[in-house]
Amino acid sequence: MVRRFFALPAAILIALTFAGAAAANAGLAPVTPESPNANAIRQTYFVILAVTGVIFLLVEGALILFVVRFRGRGRARGQDGAQIHGATKLETASTIVPVLILAGIASFVFVKLPTIKNVPEAKAANGALQVKVEGHQYYWQFEYPQGQVAFQHMVVPIDRVVELTVVSPDVIHSWWVPALGGKIDAIPGRTNHTWFKAQKLGSYEARCAELCGVEHAHMIGWVDVVTPAAYARFLAAHTGASSAIGKEVFGGVCATCHGLSGQGDYGPPLVGNSTMTDRQGLEQLLRTGKNRMPAVGKDWNDETMQAATTYLKGRFGGGQG
Amino acid sequence: MAARVEPQPYRADWRRGGVTSWITSVDHKRIGTLYIGTSLFFFLLGGLLSLFMRAQLATPNEHFVTRNQYNELFTVHGTTMIFLVVVPILAGFGNYLVPLMIGARDVAFPRLNAFSYWMYLLGGIVLYSSFFAKGGPAKSGWTAYVPLSELQFSPGHGQDLWILSLHVLAISSFAGAVNFIATIHNMRAPGMTWTRMPLFVWSIEVYAGLLVVILPVIGAGLTMLLLDREVGTHFFIPDQGGNALLYQHIFWFFGHPEVYVLILPAMGIISEIIPVFSRKPIFGYKAVAFSTVGIAFFSMLVWAHHMFAVGLGWGLQSFFMITSMLVAIPTGVKILNWLATTWRGNLIFDTPMLFALGFIAIFTIGGLTGIYLAAFPLDWQVHDTYFVVAHMHYVMFGGSVFAIFGGLFYWWPKMFGRMLNEKLGKWTFWLMFVGFNVTFMPQHFLGLLGMPRRIYTYSNGGWWEAYNLTSTIGSGVLALGVLIFFVNVFRTRRHGQRVGNDPWLGDTLEWFAPSPPPPENFPQPVPYVSSPRPLRDLRLKLEERDARAGA
Repeated sequence: MVRRFFALPAAILIALTFAGAAAANAGLAPVTPESPNANAIRQTYFVILAVTGVIFLLVEGALILFVVRFRGRGRARGQDGAQIHGATKLETASTIVPVLILAGIASFVFVKLPTIKNVPEAKAANGALQVKVEGHQYYWQFEYPQGQVAFQHMVVPIDRVVELTVVSPDVIHSWWVPALGGKIDAIPGRTNHTWFKAQKLGSYEARCAELCGVEHAHMIGWVDVVTPAAYARFLAAHTGASSAIGKEVFGGVCATCHGLSGQGDYGPPLVGNSTMTDRQGLEQLLRTGKNRMPAVGKDWNDETMQAATTYLKGRFGGGQG
Repeated sequence: MAARVEPQPYRADWRRGGVTSWITSVDHKRIGTLYIGTSLFFFLLGGLLSLFMRAQLATPNEHFVTRNQYNELFTVHGTTMIFLVVVPILAGFGNYLVPLMIGARDVAFPRLNAFSYWMYLLGGIVLYSSFFAKGGPAKSGWTAYVPLSELQFSPGHGQDLWILSLHVLAISSFAGAVNFIATIHNMRAPGMTWTRMPLFVWSIEVYAGLLVVILPVIGAGLTMLLLDREVGTHFFIPDQGGNALLYQHIFWFFGHPEVYVLILPAMGIISEIIPVFSRKPIFGYKAVAFSTVGIAFFSMLVWAHHMFAVGLGWGLQSFFMITSMLVAIPTGVKILNWLATTWRGNLIFDTPMLFALGFIAIFTIGGLTGIYLAAFPLDWQVHDTYFVVAHMHYVMFGGSVFAIFGGLFYWWPKMFGRMLNEKLGKWTFWLMFVGFNVTFMPQHFLGLLGMPRRIYTYSNGGWWEAYNLTSTIGSGVLALGVLIFFVNVFRTRRHGQRVGNDPWLGDTLEWFAPSPPPPENFPQPVPYVSSPRPLRDLRLKLEERDARAGA
């Protein structure tokens, strides 16, 4: 009985997995998964889709059938229908059957849960990569085990387990890369964890999913899945106060409000802005914020701050110094 | 009642006297009418805000409104639709109908009733006055999550006015709820036991009970937020020892049952309309009544399913998944009972029935997508996306609002003595039904594609653009349907067909009163209630008597 109960959803699941792969990009199923946890979540989706699809067809089918079959056809309003007050057996069945269906769905969730929540055991030689994800108004900052800091783009090697520690120093954000698993909130005062293991090279969009203020829509990051060699190059380029970081800070942090070429948008233009010539003033502004500008650089380390101010002064403040 | 006075020919009480008579009235019918009229006005305002949002999202990188304005729009839209439209319009129906349905003269505390209406109006004025506040209205969504809604991140007075508005509205709802409970418990007509009470009255009883339990909780939470903002406490400020998650627990302990506050009386309306237009008794009266109680009970055990992404422990997440799924069971019972009520009936497709059937069709989808959200690993994908926006509108708009429109068409002749035009009514229904589905069905797909809610713009083309544009077009069709309803209302004032006490051949006592009812409601003594369908019993008895007289 139990086996038969699972047989139908399982068969539909297999059929839908193929249909789903084609339909994924049209939004009929979660986006194509590229990590084991995202994949297990999508399987859960298909099981629920199959079960609720059948219920949907039954209910809406019955509704249409009854509407057509029992329509008045000009019978007088005073003419009564069958005076049926209830049917205890049917009502009991209609309570028990949904319990069984829901128990089935819940069981499937519990079967899949370990694949989704447990971080896979990593091989000793090539252990899990630990990355700290910080949600800020309005950018993502990533910290690597050897102290490297990156903005907007999290670069990770392919086929390696990446364990994320997700935090926020200001308001609540939510880290979400649909292709690489579910979302997890970045909540001030709490430390949350999630993981992924990317199976395909490429760049995956990371959206902030919790309203975090005026630029919530533009709080977009990327997970760049690269080869191990490219990953090594990335780490090397992000050691110390390199100009790569300065450029990243501008693109990931400043440009959201001040425009991609510093032309001004929600924030004032950086081009020809007198603050850009004054390194101390700039650092002060980044550390504490002012009016509508959040304190974006409150927690930056000295290397990051130096890289940022050097880049901004160089690009908008007329040269080094 | 020592001396019986001959009933005088009366004018509809809403025609008597001017503005003053409305302001000073403690008549439940006038107050009900005020509630419904005010709610419909706010419905237009809130709807207008949503059309601005849909215009902004119609195409990528649109600049119809600014990012700040967009955040204000969805905050005020959500707050309006929940607190200024659906809750009060149901209170309006309750006010107008509960005394009539239980055969009473008025509610238990008429002055308290007037107080609760005027507090509601005040709450609405306070919310909309925040458009003139320093920094504009609140921008942190109808949920006002901390720390975003704290002073540091939401300066200005918009958020404070939002809190004040909700406080005032909570007082209004609380007074109303106490009044309903006292009325229903004490003032039922002779013979009307609990299992002979109209199902709408059952739903108002449960609605009021829920409000009494949950309103103090949100009152406390909002007070803490206000103190954080204005006095310098730090209940919710993490770097000063507060807890940001505490607010979410408080908010959703109120917020989830609030959803059922919005849907249960709507279900009550459906349970009144379907039997009358199927010419049958409701299938399983007790199951429908007790499932209302069951839904209300479970609704208080599911709040953390709004918080699956905050990193709760596995045990908690599993618990809240199971309780959330349990809500589906009494809900399923109701859908089965409504369907079974139409079985072998004599279905008459007047506008109220169309809205009731549309409710079943749409609410079923909203109920089923709830299972996706309850399964917590899947919720990590769809939480805070347009999938949730779609789900919530399938329940709140396709559910509650469709039922409310059905109720308006059904009880309009009772309230004003004139029928709303049926032809325009059918236009309203079909435009709303098609427009609703075109607006909100694609939003499920947008959510699965990865579109978060509450973003003011996007740059993705392709399917994102196609679905968003479709949704915006649908919202226009929906708005047209609503517009025709208001045309219908104004047309009916002069040209509507006049009707007698009981145009639909109803089952319940409100149809025993004249249309519109005089101040004392029932010029003749209410018949003894011996079943949930006293008026049908009376009709059959009169037919029998006529037949005997004829023979």
